[in-house]
Amino acid sequence: MINQMILLAAEAVETSKEGGLFDFDATLPLIALQFLILVVLMNILFYKPLTRVLDDRAEYIRQNLNQAQENSKKSEELAQQFEEQIKQARRESQEMIAQAQAEAQEQAAKNLAQAQQEVQAEREKATAEIEAQKKEALQSLESQVDTLSSQILEKLVGKELAKR
Amino acid sequence: MTFFDGLNVTSAFPLAELEVGEHFYWEIGNYTVHGQVFITSWVVIALLLITSYLGTRNLERVPSGLQNFLEYALDFVRDIAKSQIGEKEYRPWVPFIGTLFLFIFVANWSGALFPWKIIELPESELAAPTNDINTTVALALLTVLAYFYAGISKRGIGYFKKYIEPTPILLPINILEEFTKPLSLSFRLFGNILADELVVAVLVLLVPLFIPLPVMALGLFTSAIQALIFATLAGAYIGESLEHGEEE
Repeated sequence: MINQMILLAAEAVETSKEGGLFDFDATLPLIALQFLILVVLMNILFYKPLTRVLDDRAEYIRQNLNQAQENSKKSEELAQQFEEQIKQARRESQEMIAQAQAEAQEQAAKNLAQAQQEVQAEREKATAEIEAQKKEALQSLESQVDTLSSQILEKLVGKELAKR
Repeated sequence: MTFFDGLNVTSAFPLAELEVGEHFYWEIGNYTVHGQVFITSWVVIALLLITSYLGTRNLERVPSGLQNFLEYALDFVRDIAKSQIGEKEYRPWVPFIGTLFLFIFVANWSGALFPWKIIELPESELAAPTNDINTTVALALLTVLAYFYAGISKRGIGYFKKYIEPTPILLPINILEEFTKPLSLSFRLFGNILADELVVAVLVLLVPLFIPLPVMALGLFTSAIQALIFATLAGAYIGESLEHGEEE
């Protein structure tokens, strides 16, 4: 039974007399030509555009990487610069505060001194004025004393006697 | 004889017929060509070209879908060429080696996957184009031409000095090698694909259900391997020719 099966299988795999497995004819050069045309077409449709895209992408990635590195370097520099600026600004502000305080103190001292001087001057002037008025008053009093005393004399002894 | 009757039914089943060595002849002038090989090869070529056209129609920097797949394929064949020829000179050979791989691969798989039997031919049957000796010999001869071209363009007429290197005693062996290279290339591919299709067909004839499936899966695997071997060897031969040139 198995033999029959194999026979049947072999029969099905029949090999015809003409042609055969190793039948070379014009198929060979035509297939070769066809394949060459396929290579050319695939080169245009497949290899060239895709290779270009791959190369472009590689270039793009490299550029971006470079730029990113540059950027990070730059930002680091900038950060350093800013820190320095902040430091400097703090120093300057402290200096300014100190200077302002010193100036204010100076000004206050000056003002105080001036005020004291003014007060002093005012007092002296007032004292001098008082003195002058006193003198004047005394003088006017003296002259009044003279007239009054002569009048008193007149009243006491009479006009003739008093004139002598 | 109920068993016999059963078998007759099986062989009347149209899927389980097998024809080897019969060709669907077309006549062009005085020459004949195998029509079934051309029909299937046109399908394979159309598949390759249409897929490439669709995949590269609008290329993007961030690939997606078909473009992604095609880029993977390109990377694959580029790696074959690069590993065989070397970083410096592989680029101009990528289209040739890559197309060898893609054509053979798609042809082999089409033979296993595409239900050709649906289409009836008066004679012969449609199958993988690589199961015809003409196709494989054509590809092998093109490979030979390619590596001769590579060697001669690199080194001029001095390329033929390789026959007496390292010593003239090896001259016959070196010349013999030029014949064994295309012979082994073409017969390996032809034999593997034809044998695979025959095994599947015979198994289908004997047991039409389930049993042939593992063999079919194995057939897909060998088909892929054969495509890879063909492309890799072609790359190796071209690389060898270029390397000979570099020594000068």
